Amino acid sequence: MNNKSLKILSVGFLISILVALSAFPTGDALSSGITGSTTSTVEANGCSCHGPEVTTSVSIELTLPENFTAGGTYTLTLNISGGPNDGVRGENYGGFFVTATHGILEPLENDTSVQKPFDKTHLTHTTEGNDYRGWNFSWTAPDRDDVIVTFTAYGNSVNGDGGASNADRWNSGSFDLMGVNAVAISDKHVELTTPQKMIYAFTILAVTLGVVVIGNRMVTNEQAFEEVLRDAWKAIYPWLTTTDHKYIGLLYISTGFIFLFIAGFLALLLRVQLFEADNDFMTDQEYNSTFTMHGTTMIFMAAMPIIFGFANYLVPLQIGARDLAFPRLNALSYWLLPTGGLLIYAGYFTGGAGDVGWTGYAPYSSGDTATKPGTDFWVAGQIMLGASSTLTAINFLTTILRMRAPGVTFMKMPLYTWSMFITVFLLLLSIPVFTVALILLMADRTFGTLYFDISAGGDAVLWQHLFWYFGHPEVYILILPAFGILSEVTSTFSRRPIFGYTSMVYAMASIGIISFVVYGHHMFTSGADPFFRFAVMLTTMLVGVPTGIKIFNWLATMTGGSIVTKTPMLFALGTILTFTIGGITGVILAMLPLDIALHDTYFVIGHLHYVAVGGVLFAFLAGVYYWYPKMIGKMLSEKLGLLHFTLSFISFNVAFYPMHHVGLAGMPRRYASYDSSLTELNQLISIGAFVFGIAQIILVYNLIYSFKYGEEAGDNPWDGWSLEWATSSPPPHNSFKEIPTLKLAEEAE
Amino acid sequence: MSMINDLIYFETPALWEDFGGTSGGYGGLVWQVFIWSLIVGLIVFVWMAYNLIYFRHKEGDPEHKDSLKAGVFPHERGDAKIELAWTIAPLILAIWLTFISLAPLDYLWDIPEEDDVDIVIEVTAVQWQWTFDFPNDYEVPEDFTKCGELNEAGVRQQNEITTYDCLELPHDSMVRFNINSNDVLHAFYIPEIGVKHDAVPNIETLVWIDTGQVDPGEYNLYCAEYCGESHSRMLANIYITEA
Repeated sequence: MNNKSLKILSVGFLISILVALSAFPTGDALSSGITGSTTSTVEANGCSCHGPEVTTSVSIELTLPENFTAGGTYTLTLNISGGPNDGVRGENYGGFFVTATHGILEPLENDTSVQKPFDKTHLTHTTEGNDYRGWNFSWTAPDRDDVIVTFTAYGNSVNGDGGASNADRWNSGSFDLMGVNAVAISDKHVELTTPQKMIYAFTILAVTLGVVVIGNRMVTNEQAFEEVLRDAWKAIYPWLTTTDHKYIGLLYISTGFIFLFIAGFLALLLRVQLFEADNDFMTDQEYNSTFTMHGTTMIFMAAMPIIFGFANYLVPLQIGARDLAFPRLNALSYWLLPTGGLLIYAGYFTGGAGDVGWTGYAPYSSGDTATKPGTDFWVAGQIMLGASSTLTAINFLTTILRMRAPGVTFMKMPLYTWSMFITVFLLLLSIPVFTVALILLMADRTFGTLYFDISAGGDAVLWQHLFWYFGHPEVYILILPAFGILSEVTSTFSRRPIFGYTSMVYAMASIGIISFVVYGHHMFTSGADPFFRFAVMLTTMLVGVPTGIKIFNWLATMTGGSIVTKTPMLFALGTILTFTIGGITGVILAMLPLDIALHDTYFVIGHLHYVAVGGVLFAFLAGVYYWYPKMIGKMLSEKLGLLHFTLSFISFNVAFYPMHHVGLAGMPRRYASYDSSLTELNQLISIGAFVFGIAQIILVYNLIYSFKYGEEAGDNPWDGWSLEWATSSPPPHNSFKEIPTLKLAEEAE
Repeated sequence: MSMINDLIYFETPALWEDFGGTSGGYGGLVWQVFIWSLIVGLIVFVWMAYNLIYFRHKEGDPEHKDSLKAGVFPHERGDAKIELAWTIAPLILAIWLTFISLAPLDYLWDIPEEDDVDIVIEVTAVQWQWTFDFPNDYEVPEDFTKCGELNEAGVRQQNEITTYDCLELPHDSMVRFNINSNDVLHAFYIPEIGVKHDAVPNIETLVWIDTGQVDPGEYNLYCAEYCGESHSRMLANIYITEA
């Protein structure tokens, strides 16, 4: 079988699993008991008694004799506990369903709370019997006593509102009763759990692919098995052991983009769920895990690594250094990223990844209702990523402070390096706070401490202060490097120096300072002190000032220039437009009286994606098109670039603009369902999102295609000024043959 | 087409229409925010379009005298007056928008005392249910038929002062909600009116509404703060009935 059809086969295999899983019907429960046609679905697939999922908070207890003799009659008692209204008897509070593999179940004489539906063998509650949490009934043993009888019981703990409600909880239990002469068979056939199945399937897939790839090599190159492995090892080894900032930079960027595609795929799953108002594509818990992983991955495993990747590659080149100050520390920072990422994703194999949102608000995240151990994996992985970021921040700070080449004084640094300098400063001051908060959370979850425990008098708002003290500077940590790229690209492609270099630096520095005193605007509805809320509203409005300066300076750079509209510039122009919209909605959200209605709705989702995708991602795509020739030595295809930009820009706006409307209409974020009047807009958003996702495949194709067939780039394809354009493309092993000196235009003439 | 309509017009919450009569309509807070957003957006858009039309690179354009060279820090370019102008203008705008937010904020945060409102309702949020407790001496109007159980005659009747996931309120009255949570964070959110407040364990938070701001009818109450598995099903119906 050749490689291509194997790929198709494996994709088909996965799709068929997904289809099979989604087509699994379950029975529903009724206040009058489970009778008639519902019975067979409940028997075959289990109950979805008032809610789709089993909860362990309800426990089922069936009182059985020690063993049975043939033909004997026994009275059995079924009790349920847990769930709403635990321990009380009341109108419509419970229900059950019980079957036995052998023998005959019968209601007790004159008992009106238990019924045996006509033509059926199981017992269930009557309308009258749904006021109880315990029932008695009789069971007559079969004619033989050498068998093991299995009773299957479902118990439903209902809140008493007379119908299916979100507060209702149910569980099932299986109970074995041995006949006096039965022999226990201990090696019962064990069903594989889903994660086990996944691991086996992926192992088989990986082994098969490995055999095909290695076999293909052996045949086509006529190599021995060991030689193929040795060649592969030789190719991988330098990447595993490198401390070179350029290699680590590329590792960071490619890891970031891989995670970007994974998280993008998760986003599309969310949009499938939201294609219909009340969709059952995912269960609630799956939906919650998916948006948690989408947000966490995008921020910590996609955006931050891509930023660090570019910084790794470019900052030493731009300041004329041979490497970062601590190359081995740099390698450690990188390797903590895939490790932490794998740890967070391991949650998927434990019955549900973390479901606390990327913000992980306690007391939910510290309580029992968050997925376990998925959330523990989330916390542990986040601590690793936090450590990675802290080390990186120290590394870059030292490098930029101590290793600048002659001539590269502070006010002669390229704006991209300036943006990274301020970014790592913010990072060093903010992320340790988050890491400490995570450690407290881990202690609460694992060691039984009570930092966030509300029943012990803990402050339910504490986490928000700790998180947003980091979380808001984090937003600027993402956008400042994007500003740096925009400054470089607009200047280069206008063929003029940047307008107002000094005010650009001061604008970035003041954004950095203000970012530490605005975080309270994430807590406008939290019940914090009104003066605190008003103060952060004012400071938040002030962020608009330096941001405005930057936007106007970019536009002024173009005025009087000679604008070349190559792909990097197209993305930069697109970024300025979309980021302006994101900035405006940001100011609207900062206005306290309006934010009270808008907080935690899709308006916020629209705003943050205009800033994070329309601002950060688009700027970094501009960066990819701008610096790919420097990193690889080949030009990216302009035709594909234009197509990529056009499709991305249009579908981005189709996907994210309507979110503002949906938000104003009142759709809260993190909802797996919505009011059916918003169906049309949500479908438009989903379609936009899918086109946007597909458009990114053009980028991947362009990267691969141009790697093979692209034009040679030369040292300075775009006529940039900073020092990276003064070395070869790609730069030599030590980046510079000799440390360069940055000249001044006034002196050079 | 309705979708194009949906994309052009904004549905705004009822509260925004006048913010207690001080900031409504033309010239009001929402109107000003909208107009200023439009102005700032248009400045950026028009300026960029102007740049792209008049300053495009053409074949044979002469290189500008301060054009960029690799390894050479370029000439300083800028104009202190202009840069100062677009620092001060956004600063004034930011302060102005903060200033006009004060009156609506005062209206929102001036929560009436329990004696000054028509009804005080104790709201308790738990995973994933809303409980509404009317005062003990509250007499449920006889024509409240949305939230109770069926009586013997088969007519739905609210004769209890506690209701779950359902709340019926008289039109044209001041209602104050004392909000509590028994487990995690939740948020009390009525989109059509435009009020929202977190339900915080161990802290009682307050929201008040004037049911006269909206027409009688059925409204949604959402939990807006993520609270776990069934967060998206933690809804309640609010009926505002002409009493």
